[in-house]
Amino acid sequence: MTVTDRDPLAHEDPRRLAEFEARIAAGEKIEPGDWMPSEYRRQLIRMISQHAHSEWVGMLPEGAWITAAPSLRRKLILIAKVQDEAGHGQYLYHAAETLGATREEMVDALLEGRAKYSSVFNYPTLTWADVGMIGWLVDGAAIKNQVMLAGCSYGPYSRAMVRICAEETFHHKQGQEMVRRYAAGSPAQRRMAQDALDRWWWPAMMMLGPHDSDSPNTPLLKRWGVKVKTNDEVRQEFLDEHAPELLEAGLSIPDPELRFDEATGHWVHGPIDWDEFWRVVKGDGPMNAERLAARRQAHEEGRWVREAMAAHAARAASATGAVPA
Amino acid sequence: MSHAADTQWPRWEVLKQDAEGKPHQAVGSVHAADAEHALLMARTVFARRPSAVSMWVAPAASVRSFTAQELAEREAPTERAPAAGAPERYLVVRKASHRRSMAFGELVGEVEGANVDEALAAALARLAGEPVLALWLVEARAVVRSDPAEADPWFGPARDKTYKQQSVYSSRATARQDAAKGVPR
Ligand SMILES: [Fe+2]
Ligand SMILES: [Fe+2]
Repeated sequence: MTVTDRDPLAHEDPRRLAEFEARIAAGEKIEPGDWMPSEYRRQLIRMISQHAHSEWVGMLPEGAWITAAPSLRRKLILIAKVQDEAGHGQYLYHAAETLGATREEMVDALLEGRAKYSSVFNYPTLTWADVGMIGWLVDGAAIKNQVMLAGCSYGPYSRAMVRICAEETFHHKQGQEMVRRYAAGSPAQRRMAQDALDRWWWPAMMMLGPHDSDSPNTPLLKRWGVKVKTNDEVRQEFLDEHAPELLEAGLSIPDPELRFDEATGHWVHGPIDWDEFWRVVKGDGPMNAERLAARRQAHEEGRWVREAMAAHAARAASATGAVPA
Repeated sequence: MSHAADTQWPRWEVLKQDAEGKPHQAVGSVHAADAEHALLMARTVFARRPSAVSMWVAPAASVRSFTAQELAEREAPTERAPAAGAPERYLVVRKASHRRSMAFGELVGEVEGANVDEALAAALARLAGEPVLALWLVEARAVVRSDPAEADPWFGPARDKTYKQQSVYSSRATARQDAAKGVPR
């Protein structure tokens, strides 16, 4: 493992650490209440809270299109998908809470711009075809990552992922169906689908994270079974599935170096613009400011509801003499 | 950004039953101001798909959790509180496997005890010889249950939302045929 400044395990009890690692090697799940290294807890809170924020911010690019959906069927689908993402955020905030973080601290960190979330949600959704392309590519990439994390060694995170994956497949399928139909439709529809692919291809490839050589946390996370695969391995799975399907749909992928390597049986992609990735992650993407502004507005506009709920519960409790939970 | 009236509500654990005859399973938690709110949140968060006939919620403070590791390292209680008055009833939720699952564990029954130690001893005696990877004791009187008479209006609508099922989306071949026929989607 790469430790640049300090060894995060130096202060751990070697016997407990060895027992912990043996449990993970044996395929056991770690549950709240079990002994765990503080670095395991810290890394999980970081990952799970970022994941939760991504689900919540992920509602925004698509939510904006609900009222403009071209048919009732597409509107019902999109509402259900956005509701699912809200639920996914809830599963994940609660999984992080089992490690000692509070939902409030995590939400405050997001609203105050201190938290990271997936870079991909900082790109704009310019046409209706973007909704389909997000389902196919962004949910498609997310599923690859989430299927991997369903094998995570931490019980609550793994369970949230199993539940999310079961729901996520519909997000992917509806997007794939929509884009395939546009790609086989009128010239204007085909142009719209191709334009959406041109804009979402690289953000989707980037969202699976930096190359393994630039992911200093990965070796430790793999050793502890938090990640079961590296970013590049998950990206390769995404590429191998999606490249041939997009090409078969009659679309062209905006990567002149993309090719299938007969020798390895894998698709090979051209260089990724990591400068763009880091700019977007660090807050300077096309939509970072708008996304956070929309989340803050939703939070503020919900304040009176939260206050009313609290007042109602307090009054009901004092009326019955019951002690609030 | 912390305001007194804007702190998170108490946490409630959610137990969901997928079908008649199956045990309730611990599926996760919600934050809610009171029990009614907790049930509504539980339905919204955990029953967007047609897989529920009943839901129970319990305030997190009424749930005692023990992992196998904690049970192994737990010191035997030296002094038992005298069994004064009626014993408390507890639901027992057990995690039995490390297999991938959406649920922490499932309800295996109820035990009584004058205190948590007695209830835990009763639960472990009941489960002797069976795998116990983790165990919850939930104060039975703190549990609030969805109304069985309302099960259909509560959980039924999810069944009609077939567009949430991946199987309704066309395959590669049918997508091309539909497009050729101009089927509106
Ligand atoms: Fe999601
Ligand atoms: Fe999704």
